[in-house]
Amino acid sequence: MDMSPALFQSTLYASLALCVLGLAWRASAWFHIRIGPDARAVRPARRVAAVFRGAASTLSSRRVFRVLGALFLDVLLLRRLFATGKLRWLGHLLVVAGFTLLLLMHALAAIVTVKLFQGYQPTLAPYLFLRNLFGAMVLIGVAMLLFGRRRQRTALPQARRPLAAAFVLLLGFVLVSGFLLEAHKIASPRAFYRMTEQFIGSIDPEKLEPLRALWGSEFGVAFDDLPLPLDPRLVEAGRELHRDACGFCHAKPASAFVSYPIAGLLAPVTVLMDAARADAWLLYLHVFACFLGLASLPFTRFFHAVASPVSLLVAAAALEREVPAPPFSAEARASQRALALDACVRCGICDARCSVAPIARYLGNPGLLPSHKLLATGALASGRLLRSGRENDALLAADGAFLCTDCGRCTSRCPVGLDLEDLWEAGRGDLAAAGLPTPAQWVQARSALEWAESLEPGSGQHALSDLDAASASLSADRSKYSRCVQCQTCTNVCPVVAHSLDSDHGVDLTPQKVMNLLRLGLGDLALGSRMVWDCATCYQCQENCPEGIRVTDIMCELRSLAVQRLGAVRSRREPS
Amino acid sequence: MKFALFLGCKIPSRLPAYEASTRAVLGHLGVTLVDLEFDCCGYPARNYSHDAFVVAAARNLALAERAGLDVLTPCKCCFGTLRHAIRFLREDAELRSRVGEALSEDGLTWSGKTQVEHLLPVLARTIGVDALAAAVRAPRTGLRVAAQYGCHALRPANVTGFDNPMAPTIFETLIRATGAIAVDWPRRLDCCGDPLHEANGPLSERMTRAKIADALESGAEVMCTACPHCHLRFDTVQANNADPAIRTLLYTQLLGLALGLPAKSLGL
Repeated sequence: MDMSPALFQSTLYASLALCVLGLAWRASAWFHIRIGPDARAVRPARRVAAVFRGAASTLSSRRVFRVLGALFLDVLLLRRLFATGKLRWLGHLLVVAGFTLLLLMHALAAIVTVKLFQGYQPTLAPYLFLRNLFGAMVLIGVAMLLFGRRRQRTALPQARRPLAAAFVLLLGFVLVSGFLLEAHKIASPRAFYRMTEQFIGSIDPEKLEPLRALWGSEFGVAFDDLPLPLDPRLVEAGRELHRDACGFCHAKPASAFVSYPIAGLLAPVTVLMDAARADAWLLYLHVFACFLGLASLPFTRFFHAVASPVSLLVAAAALEREVPAPPFSAEARASQRALALDACVRCGICDARCSVAPIARYLGNPGLLPSHKLLATGALASGRLLRSGRENDALLAADGAFLCTDCGRCTSRCPVGLDLEDLWEAGRGDLAAAGLPTPAQWVQARSALEWAESLEPGSGQHALSDLDAASASLSADRSKYSRCVQCQTCTNVCPVVAHSLDSDHGVDLTPQKVMNLLRLGLGDLALGSRMVWDCATCYQCQENCPEGIRVTDIMCELRSLAVQRLGAVRSRREPS
Repeated sequence: MKFALFLGCKIPSRLPAYEASTRAVLGHLGVTLVDLEFDCCGYPARNYSHDAFVVAAARNLALAERAGLDVLTPCKCCFGTLRHAIRFLREDAELRSRVGEALSEDGLTWSGKTQVEHLLPVLARTIGVDALAAAVRAPRTGLRVAAQYGCHALRPANVTGFDNPMAPTIFETLIRATGAIAVDWPRRLDCCGDPLHEANGPLSERMTRAKIADALESGAEVMCTACPHCHLRFDTVQANNADPAIRTLLYTQLLGLALGLPAKSLGL
């Protein structure tokens, strides 16, 4: 039973068209999404031109060998994934290799396999075995990847993967329906009679009895009317008939090591399935699932199958630029950042070894983790992060971006070779430009007095409240600074005060004045002061204080208090 | 002699030569360094949440305790941060229980056994200046070196226990052990300016340049550092202007050269 060619072709071409249009749409984003202040000035046309220039210069230099090496090692053999985890690498390699080989040998058999191997028939050895092997590779690989993902679960949520689960299900469906279809075709008496009619010209059970005996006993056909036990002479007679009529195209299906046992399991219901035309609907399901996968590829996280290899090759071309070649241009960098948004698989390898992951867990802010930061960077670039209703997301993203220590572990472990350091720096630039800079910057955008007034409008009281005691064991405890005699030693030894030569970049208060504000119960007035935020934490004041007051520790504590208290005031307003 | 090596965030990504030279020198001197799965020391969180800073630090201490090792760090910022966290944990029982709860989520505990030491005191006291001097094969005779002390190791002395905070000698003693001359310079104990570069760039740069000018005026040929933040600060500021520059050298590189180790193994 074959599909109507018109239906097959029209669906195929519609899916292909959707896929190609989708790919073009996704790839176009690589040239117009702007991440980083330096990318803002670059027009898309120049970014497209930069790609051609870069490709031309790469192809005409020694770098082409590096790119070829990356194609082989990084793209085909997934070298970077190997370095981070062997199980995951094996799982992914099985999926990629199994799927690619199935695509070439099975799905594109009429174009590829027929040309390469003379006399190719899908029901001959070794193709029966190989098709099962490739399918089993994909299924085992997917299972390994899912298992690895389960083990990796941490307290914080993982980054969103749009439609990834649906796509994995679809892939599994394609594989399972394929195996079922093959199993049913092996077991189906209906298929047997169709073939014998076509190639022997008879469906007369009497005449076909020897062949039925052979195919029933050795080829897995689930006849329900064979006279048992079978006469060995009948089987031998069938073998002769088989050699003349069927042997050119049919090997024993036992080498289909997945489908053949399934055929055995299906035997009791095969007649029912035949009556229900299972061969037809299994074929439709299998083929349409493939077409659905093709059409939806650009729109799910599995677009990484295209974007990640591109990213790896671009990274190889951009690596260790030869001197005196011009530095990687702003145009190319802008495109590389946009590409990174698509190339990221959200595998979470970066999150697992992120230096500030313990801080993220304690603060309950997943915005610190690389995969979430990448999403936020993209959302900011597209303007989504600044929409009303997402103010809190934006603030969490900013905290995440500025708590990053640039340790580079995410970049060094990224299996698709993203230059995440560059992306983070660009993202911080965008955040600052959007009115979401570091605490030191947003606090200093207003004067200490303005902040203090906004805390308690109309009230003259600016004492740090009792509520702060839990998070401010020093500044909320009067005994920690009440001994201050205002001798100004702290101010005299402060290098920040000493270098405050102009009013634009000088401090407003001095350390001794900050201590005095605390003493007077006016701690709120110090929270937004330049002195607190410009403290270099060199500990000169604390070391030199004749009264043993922990001046620097108090300064640090006032900052964290300011982030909490002034941050609450700030989030009640639109980001400026 | 065995330590858990705490590299922190800056060294592996921005100053790999410091890691290479630290491993080369300590390996040569018979110190075993163990790599644990450490994370950020906690310093960046100090501006956001005091608790988060102490939790991050304590997690590292707990990892070292589980491995039965003391911590050695070449970074003065990490050193000071970890030492401060220990102090806060010792003096605040409520904080200790909050932190203990957070650690237990990862199956960790910290009972207070872990000691944290900076690289320089380990070289000067645990290994000993005399042992260093005896191991020197290629003395840096005549090289005029300015010691950049670095605030977070030096102060507050009751937390860091690094040296006399008003008149320290440890760095100069270590420099002399290599055969070099330790230059006396007035700004040797000043801040390099690094912690301020984000909050107040111009003021920070003024602080850095004042130090460089002072070291040059005092006749130093080399600014010797033992902290990635100080080291990178000098390099960054000097890369951006045309003022007279001073060569920067990590102490582990200076010592490694004096020990006769190949320059390449020291990241030079």
